[in-house]
Amino acid sequence: MLERYWSITSSLLPFLWKGFLETLYVSLVAIVAGSLIGAVIGLVRSQRVPVLTGLFGLYIHVLRGTPFLVQLYVFYFVLPNTGVSWLSWDSRTAAFVALSVYTSSYVAEIVKGAIEAVPRGQSEAATALGMNRLQRLWYVVIPQALKLTVPPMSGVYVMIIKSTAILSVVGISELTRQGEVSILRFPRDVLFIYGLIAFIYFLYCYPVLRFARWAERRVGAARIVDLD
Amino acid sequence: MTWLLEYYNYRIVAQYLGRFAEGLSNTLTAAGVSLVLSLLLGTFVALALLSNRTGLRKPVEGYVAFVRATPLLVQIYLVYYGLPALLPFAKSWNDMYFGIAALTLNSAPYMGEIIRAGIESVPHGQIEGAKAVGMNYGQRMRHVVLPQAFANTLPPLIGQTAVLIKDTSLLSIITVFEFTSAGILLNSERVRPNESFLTIALGYLLIYLLILLLSRGVKQWLAGPAWNAQG
Repeated sequence: MLERYWSITSSLLPFLWKGFLETLYVSLVAIVAGSLIGAVIGLVRSQRVPVLTGLFGLYIHVLRGTPFLVQLYVFYFVLPNTGVSWLSWDSRTAAFVALSVYTSSYVAEIVKGAIEAVPRGQSEAATALGMNRLQRLWYVVIPQALKLTVPPMSGVYVMIIKSTAILSVVGISELTRQGEVSILRFPRDVLFIYGLIAFIYFLYCYPVLRFARWAERRVGAARIVDLD
Repeated sequence: MTWLLEYYNYRIVAQYLGRFAEGLSNTLTAAGVSLVLSLLLGTFVALALLSNRTGLRKPVEGYVAFVRATPLLVQIYLVYYGLPALLPFAKSWNDMYFGIAALTLNSAPYMGEIIRAGIESVPHGQIEGAKAVGMNYGQRMRHVVLPQAFANTLPPLIGQTAVLIKDTSLLSIITVFEFTSAGILLNSERVRPNESFLTIALGYLLIYLLILLLSRGVKQWLAGPAWNAQG
């Protein structure tokens, strides 16, 4: 029995490794792109820029109020159907953009929360020193806010890694998809193969989760994000 | 209104209204049953995590870590293919049961974490004070600890319920006919992505907004002085 599982594992490993690399790649792209978009949105919302704050608020509610699977279908089926030429993208682009946009909605709230969590006195003292709004943000508020974002951002990173599994639905050859294809080769060992897949995800996510908990203790678990 | 029909033909949506309603009712059933079951299992998880008995705490910690560090979709597959192998009577289950089982097992650690934090949030002085006025364990729990833990637990539990409802969309992958499946059905029969997916996105958004309103209402309700230790 054990020997059989070993032979399955060793014959699938190169194939699953390819899937893991795609999972790694798409999760890294989403965290980087999502953080860039999210940082801008969060910054704008924390400064209460008229009109933009409301518009971005709508953006965040729509993305957090709908399942990622449904968003993926919108990016995969609806947007290429609009007739706009640059939106007629392939499934891989649709998947990458969908996950990055989804990520940005979580990052934006973290960034906004962190900026607002920096004590007001800091900004006031900077004003007293004659700094303008941008200087206050850049030299005083953001450096302090950055530290506060580390624990919740690690949590978001884990959430993204787990969400990449959903991309298998539109045929992205990431880990879960490679697992599904492997089952065609070993149809009797469905359970074992999914167990193996789960184990690989665990190896990727668990260290990040541990890091998040460690960071939370260091930063002092400031609850900067209200998740409703 | 004819220009609208080109982008969003609500007449097609109207034809499928029955299927959307059926899907929505299955989504709410799956989420509702999973919510109740995961609260029960979550309470057990919370008590186990607070327990001094290593033989109880360690396995539960392992289960919590596994759920938190693996994707829900993979967990759904594991339950879908694993449960019939594990429990012979599960062979005759329909897909909905597997979906509910998977969602419950996935959601219980998060619920448990919230309940644990709620219990721990009650200051120890409260319990000592209750002891000082002569309350026994049952009275302390009923009059002092649980009301305060409840007030601290309810808002995050509502947030977790919103996550649970969104997670039910993944059950469409194991062919449970829930809300997302209704959209997929419309798209596969009529090839109208806008009417299919924008409709379900809007549906989920409405549910989310209702929960958001509920959450705000509950927060206001709980802001009364009787609920808070600090008040």
